[in-house]
Amino acid sequence: MSEDPPLELADIQGDILRAYGNAYDHTSYAFVRIDCEPEQAQAWFSGLLAHVTTAAPWARKPLTTLNVALTANGLAALGVSDEAIASFADEFRQGMAARAQLLGDAGPSAPREWEPGLGTGDAHVLLTINAQEAADHRRALGKMEAAMADAGGVAVISQVDAQLLHGAREHFGFADGFAEPAIAGATEDRVAGGGVPEKHGRWRALAAGEFILGYPDEDSNVDRHRRLPSAPDGPLGRNSTYMVWRKLRQDVALWRRTIAAAAERYPLGDAEKLAAKVVGRWHDGAPLETHPDGPDPSFDASANGANDFRYGADRDGRRCPLGAHIRRSNPRDALGNEGKLSFRHRMIRRGMPYGPPLPDGVLHDDGADRGLVFVSFQASIFRQFEGVQTPWINDGDIFGLGTDKDFLLGDGSGSGKMTIQGRKPFFLTPQETFVVTRGGEYLFVPGISALQAIADGVAG
Amino acid sequence: MSTRSPNIAGSTYSLMVWTPIIPGREAQLRSLLEGLAATGSPLAQVPRTHMARWLVVPAMPVPPGTDVHDPLGGPFLLFTSNFDGDVDSYLHELCELIPDAAAAIWSHCVGCPQPAAGAALKAYLHRNQVDSGFAFAAYGDASVQRIRTALDKRERLADFAVRAQDMDRATRRKAFLKEFGPA
Repeated sequence: MSEDPPLELADIQGDILRAYGNAYDHTSYAFVRIDCEPEQAQAWFSGLLAHVTTAAPWARKPLTTLNVALTANGLAALGVSDEAIASFADEFRQGMAARAQLLGDAGPSAPREWEPGLGTGDAHVLLTINAQEAADHRRALGKMEAAMADAGGVAVISQVDAQLLHGAREHFGFADGFAEPAIAGATEDRVAGGGVPEKHGRWRALAAGEFILGYPDEDSNVDRHRRLPSAPDGPLGRNSTYMVWRKLRQDVALWRRTIAAAAERYPLGDAEKLAAKVVGRWHDGAPLETHPDGPDPSFDASANGANDFRYGADRDGRRCPLGAHIRRSNPRDALGNEGKLSFRHRMIRRGMPYGPPLPDGVLHDDGADRGLVFVSFQASIFRQFEGVQTPWINDGDIFGLGTDKDFLLGDGSGSGKMTIQGRKPFFLTPQETFVVTRGGEYLFVPGISALQAIADGVAG
Repeated sequence: MSTRSPNIAGSTYSLMVWTPIIPGREAQLRSLLEGLAATGSPLAQVPRTHMARWLVVPAMPVPPGTDVHDPLGGPFLLFTSNFDGDVDSYLHELCELIPDAAAAIWSHCVGCPQPAAGAALKAYLHRNQVDSGFAFAAYGDASVQRIRTALDKRERLADFAVRAQDMDRATRRKAFLKEFGPA
């Protein structure tokens, strides 16, 4: 049984440990720039706090939710001292744009190509607003804008409106957002397939400190002194987390054309099977490891155990290719050593699609901006997000795949490919740039007390 | 008692050279090293090098108001390199193949000969060598050249496999022999 202290849910922001999920159809991400003295900014910030949604269980689902995150520049603009900011993780202080080379954000994804306001140091505060209905959404945005107008010196410099697509699919057509880590004290019910794979088919939940600062993490659990992982000084280091936010534009028509053309040469199936091999799941979310032959109409992605599978019996990738998207993102036991090389690299993902869907069957780009707002929460951006993005998504070495990158996310080098293992392997080419980074930020999501400390100018 | 050098693992040699930086030159040296990345590393011109680095080890910060002294007595420059073959010929190559970079870097160190070049520089580096406690070679006996050749071969084979996947058996065989067969 876990000896970890219970999570202080009322002091942790909402949508981190448990997803708002399909409860909200409309989401807006608004990046705010602060252009006034810290005291004036703190007054505006203070006005937000009564509306921030916490992780405490709901008596009734709110019509709208508000969550707040800050960049390193945002902390400074709100008066947090240089000394306190120096206690934050290096990668957070540098920001996502400075890490572009490591993240593979090059060519059309390079920060110089990003949308205005992102990656320039101007984005200070991210307000995430969820709403059940369009009218609630409009009202919440109106309130946000009115509060900024009243305060003066703060303004939205970038906003992305996202919405749930039919069937909780992302734009390429795959069910998304249901495979999440099982966290001790929060989501232990999702342990089968969501936790750490152990012997004899068992799983165990991950320590909460992997995701929420101020709690024991997996290292603490094997440390005789139960030392806590590093965290920012003072109140900022408790019940907070780090957030990665990326706007990823998807070229749906190009994806469809590429898969359709390659499927004509694929001897073992059709375009649907080929697409499933790229992702590691069928469109309905059924994993290839448990459903190697085809989708299953009775598959329920939200059911407990829907992700209860491993790769140990599929070492050669005959069922799920070694370079499939989900196998790269969370290799489970695929790297051997009973999963010990992968379980420290888990993250909570809370992405949402943006832009209108491209109607089924359309193979030519209609020019609309559509894609995914990728959001992840983790205690260490370096170990968890970057630890997946750099060696697992953008390289194939660790999987014995040379320089192959994740086919789904694309590669504009012109030499990319995906190997689909089989008695006779199939090489999926060409690899195009299906996904382009349009901007992003590394953020800090303070706990409720930490938000108050920032607003009061006493965070350090 | 083992007579084997603690610096040798597999067919690689682990070199460490530890030299004190002339007082007041730390920032200048740091900036010189940071600038190397922009123009491409000079160490790429020393082909036996597996991995190498120059590292400025700053003086130990002494808490104000205490009588703690910096045990190092100032900042040092650490050079580490893992390479194929023996240390003597490697130091010779270092001084001969990248004379400008070697001179520019070690000239900031105490006791470096002037001019920092040739046999005098080599002897200076030798004199300031520190033995490894333990050395490890990830690639065993493989040399830099052998690793490069293997990577190149792998890449060519993968490219060939992609190009050949739609060929019939006879065409594929012919193409393979043309690409990889005896010249």
